[in-house]
Amino acid sequence: MRLSELTGKANYFEDFDLGQVIKHARGKTIEGLENVLITNLVMNTAQAHFNEDAMKTSPYGGRLSYGGVNFSIAMGLAMQDCGENALAELAMDNIRLMHPVVHGDTIYAYSEVLEKKDAEREDAGLVTFRHYGVNQDDKLVFQGERTMLIKRRSHWGER
Amino acid sequence: MSEDFRERAKLWPKGRLYEDFTLGEVRIHHWGRTITESDTLLFTTLTLSYNPLYSNRAFAEAHGHPDLVVNPLLVFNTVLGLSVEDNSEIGGPFVGVGKLTWWRPVYPGETLVARSTTTAMRLSASNPRNGIVTWRTEGFNQRDERVIDFERSNLVRLRNPTPQEASA
Repeated sequence: MRLSELTGKANYFEDFDLGQVIKHARGKTIEGLENVLITNLVMNTAQAHFNEDAMKTSPYGGRLSYGGVNFSIAMGLAMQDCGENALAELAMDNIRLMHPVVHGDTIYAYSEVLEKKDAEREDAGLVTFRHYGVNQDDKLVFQGERTMLIKRRSHWGER
Repeated sequence: MSEDFRERAKLWPKGRLYEDFTLGEVRIHHWGRTITESDTLLFTTLTLSYNPLYSNRAFAEAHGHPDLVVNPLLVFNTVLGLSVEDNSEIGGPFVGVGKLTWWRPVYPGETLVARSTTTAMRLSASNPRNGIVTWRTEGFNQRDERVIDFERSNLVRLRNPTPQEASA
């Protein structure tokens, strides 16, 4: 197994430019498989996410997808392009949930390069992305920043 | 005594509302959660979180890890999940998260526990039937090592709004 053959060739630390915005190719429709399964898996006890009977008469008309699921999917949709060559995810900040998501909604993701810095180790650098999640009507449902430690091609490109 | 169990039943309610919080209060959350390999693989694949550290054990080992790395967003969601009944189960929508740090990786088989401190409380200007409460939530592994901490804010309903607040 050669490590560098298993991940992308165009998303090392050197490849990201400040201000660059990436539109990620895939979207994902959120249903019970994502919302109810992950909400229950992580023991989030708020039944607004898993009791359809209680939520039928709410302004949302049904179960609300849990915000942590919504932005994990938006960040997941961004992961191959932004974090496939990451050694670690280190931090998040300014996570904002701006619009409700219900079953049947589809999330698309965009990422903007906010900051690039040297790291303590020489074989990788720090990149801060602002990720955006938009729904099928192009409404912004989430935005938030994530900092990852990303391999440098100079050290990892041939390994 | 009524025959019908429903008439004899008393609700054991869950969750807390705005008046139930006090600034500086620390709560150790219930249960704890051992993260299994299937948890992190399921979460990683369902969220399309494609980095082989989360899906390929040999790749993770070649990077110095003893096992697959548990997806950091699963660590976050689990620590937040354990805090929900004490903080936000019935209050209102989740507004945001900030100042989050992952301090160390988590590996399959490790156990997470969580605690929160109430760090800010204010009434909502736009909707005075609600307050906004902020907590500092911290997650630890079975060796009491800190694995994550973050701030979270939620809209939290007032239990007893004044008539003025209720009509706003």
